[in-house]
Amino acid sequence: MNAYRDQYAQLFRNGRNIVLIAISADRDTALASWARDAEYPFLFASDSNSAVGKAYGAFNAQYKLDNRSLFVVGQDGKIAYRATPFREIDPTAYTELGAALNKLVPADTTAR
Amino acid sequence: MRHLALAGGLTVLAAGIAAQQPAASPSPPILEVGAVAPDFSMPGATRFGTLRGPVRLSDYKGKTVVLAFFFKARTRG
Repeated sequence: MNAYRDQYAQLFRNGRNIVLIAISADRDTALASWARDAEYPFLFASDSNSAVGKAYGAFNAQYKLDNRSLFVVGQDGKIAYRATPFREIDPTAYTELGAALNKLVPADTTAR
Repeated sequence: MRHLALAGGLTVLAAGIAAQQPAASPSPPILEVGAVAPDFSMPGATRFGTLRGPVRLSDYKGKTVVLAFFFKARTRG
């Protein structure tokens, strides 16, 4: 999550027209305290019954947790990009994600 | 003959044990690009605390939404 935080301005335009939701099976209280300690500027959601992980195919049946994977939902409500798994320590993963977001949300619409 | 019967019995026993192992539950298929993103409603949180209302995908219609699934809070993975 640190990479998302550190690149929040550049990659996610500080949340302007792009909503980042970080999802795990943790309870909302655990997510809130972690977000506070690490100063994460984005939204978290608690998939405690794994229903959302299952719906998207992120659910790991062996560990009963959600795999690190990423889906970009376009303005039409359809999956526009996915990275499954999202290779969080690989810088090219962020380059690819940035390119996908730039295509969906042209930079000039978020200027200023 | 007794040896054969014993061996046969052991085979049956082994098969019985194997059958008792829980079958590896398959992970669900990963949503394809172009598929309609399923709506959801989950308890939400920010660094300021937990949210009163749920987080719904449908609340962000017209926006680009990035869903970043991860294993567990306070881990790197």
